[in-house]
Amino acid sequence: MRIKVDNLSFGYDYRTVLKNVTFSLESGDFLVIVGNNGSGKSTLIKCLLGINRVPDDKIFIDDIEIHDYRQWINIGYVPQKFDDFNYEFPITVNEILTVSKLTKIDEDQKLSILDRIGILELQNENINSLSGGQLQRVFIARALMNGPKLLVLDEPTAGVDSENIDNFYRMVNDLNAEGVTIILISHDVKTTKANFSHIMHLENGKAELTHVCEIDFGGDAS
Amino acid sequence: MIDQITEPLLLSMSFIRALFERTFMQRALITGILVGFLAPLIGSFVVIKRLSMIADTLSHFTLAGLSIGLFLLNIIGLPIGDPLYIGMIFAVSGALLIEALRSYYRNYKEISMPIVISLGTALSALFISLSGGFTSTVYNYLFGSILTVSRQFIYIITITTFIVILLIVSFYKKIVIVSFDESYARLLGINVKVFQFVTTIILGLVIALAIETVGVLLVSSLMIIPVAAAMKIGRSFKNTLIIAILFSEASVILGLWLSYVAGIPSGATIVLFNISILILVVIFKKLFSIQRVRNKQEADVY
Repeated sequence: MRIKVDNLSFGYDYRTVLKNVTFSLESGDFLVIVGNNGSGKSTLIKCLLGINRVPDDKIFIDDIEIHDYRQWINIGYVPQKFDDFNYEFPITVNEILTVSKLTKIDEDQKLSILDRIGILELQNENINSLSGGQLQRVFIARALMNGPKLLVLDEPTAGVDSENIDNFYRMVNDLNAEGVTIILISHDVKTTKANFSHIMHLENGKAELTHVCEIDFGGDAS
Repeated sequence: MIDQITEPLLLSMSFIRALFERTFMQRALITGILVGFLAPLIGSFVVIKRLSMIADTLSHFTLAGLSIGLFLLNIIGLPIGDPLYIGMIFAVSGALLIEALRSYYRNYKEISMPIVISLGTALSALFISLSGGFTSTVYNYLFGSILTVSRQFIYIITITTFIVILLIVSFYKKIVIVSFDESYARLLGINVKVFQFVTTIILGLVIALAIETVGVLLVSSLMIIPVAAAMKIGRSFKNTLIIAILFSEASVILGLWLSYVAGIPSGATIVLFNISILILVVIFKKLFSIQRVRNKQEADVY
C-alpha cells in the first residue's frame, strides 16, 4: 500500500503537535517511527488512519486523497492502549475475531491467524481473564482478520515478555516479506528486531513545540 | 401447618387459572415476556457502552411527554389518543438531545444526562400539576400498570420486538463492534454516527414501552440489573445475553405471580426479583471463588 504525506501540520485546540511532516512509502515498505513521549507518534498514526481529521490534500493512500479513501478494511491497526475497548463485558477471543470481519468468516483462516500469533489455545477464553500481553496478541490477530495490506502497530510490544517479543517480530517480518506494508511505532529502535526499511525520528522542537522530521531512506538501520 | 403449605399452592393455582380465564392477565404476561426479552437485550449494549444512566434519563424525559399528553388530552381537549404516543416521541427526542449534548461536551459526556433528566423532571412536574395533579394515571406512569395494558399496546410492543430482533440479527457484527470499540468500527468503515442514531431511537422506543410495565422510576432497572447479574457469570458475549434474558424473564414471571397472589404492585415486585437474582449471583460468585481458592490450596498441599 502506497502512502504519501505532504507537508502535514496538525494540532489539538491551540497546541501544534505535528509540523510540516512529509514522507512517502511504497507497497512492502517497513517504516519504524521512533520518538519520545509526546513527540506526536500516535497523533501521526491517527492522522493516517483518518481518526484525526486533517486538512485536504495532505495525506494520500494508494494515490487517493484520505477524505475520499473508502477501503479502510485494507488497513489493520493495533492501538497502543485498549482504552477504547470496553473489555470488562464478557466476550471471547473467538467472538472478537468473528465480529471483526464483516464478511463471511473463513474458519481455517481464523485458526491459522490464531496459531500464527500463538494464541490458538486462548480462542474460547473470556478476554477478562487474559494478561496484558495476551490481550495485545488478540488485538494483533484482530488486525489480521481482514487480510490487511497495511499493518499499523502502535508500541506493540509494551507489556509483552521477551520470548513473545521475538516471536512477534518474526511474525511481523514474515508478514512484511509477504508484501504487507508495515508502520511500527517504537519507543526505542534498538530493542526492535524488525527488518525495517525506513526509520523516522519524530522529535519535539525545544520550546516551540515544532518537530524535526528526519527520514532515513538508507535501508536497514539495524 | 397444613394451611401454611396449601395456601400458596391454592393461590398459585388461581394465578394459572387467572392466566387462562382473564384477558388482562394474558395481556400482562405477554407484555411482561416481551419487555422482559427486549429490555436486557438492548440493556446489554447500553451497559457495554457505559451508558447505564441513559435509561433513567430517558424514562424521566418520557414522563414529560406523558404528562404533556395528559395535559393536551384532559385540559386542552385535543384528541391525541393515548399519551403514550407523545411519550414515545419524547423518548426518541430525549435520546437525540443526549447524543447532541454528548458531542457538544466531548470531554464531559456525562453532563448530558443531568441536563436532560432535569428538563424532563421539570416539564413533568409542571404538566402533571397543570393537568390536575397526582391522579391514578400519573401513579401508573411512575410505577407501571402492566395489568391494564390495552390490546393496541400489545400490537405496538410485538411489532417493536420483531423490528429489534430483525435489526440485531441483520447488523449483529456491526452492532457488537460499535458497542465494544467505536474507533475500530470507524476503521472498518462503519458509519458510527448513523448507527448511534438508529440505536438511540430504538432505545428511546423500548424505554417508552417498558414504562408501561414497571413505570418511569423503575424502567432502568429492567434494562440494567439482569445484565449486571449476567455479566458476572457469562462465559461469552452470546452466553451473557442469553443469561440476562433468562434472569429477566424469570423476574417478570415470578414478579407477576407474586404480585397477583399477594396483591402487591407488579412493577416493584418484578424489579425486586431482579435485584434478588443479582444479590444471589454476587453471593454464589463469592462462595465459588473462595471454594476454588481452597481447592487450589488443598491441591498445593497434597
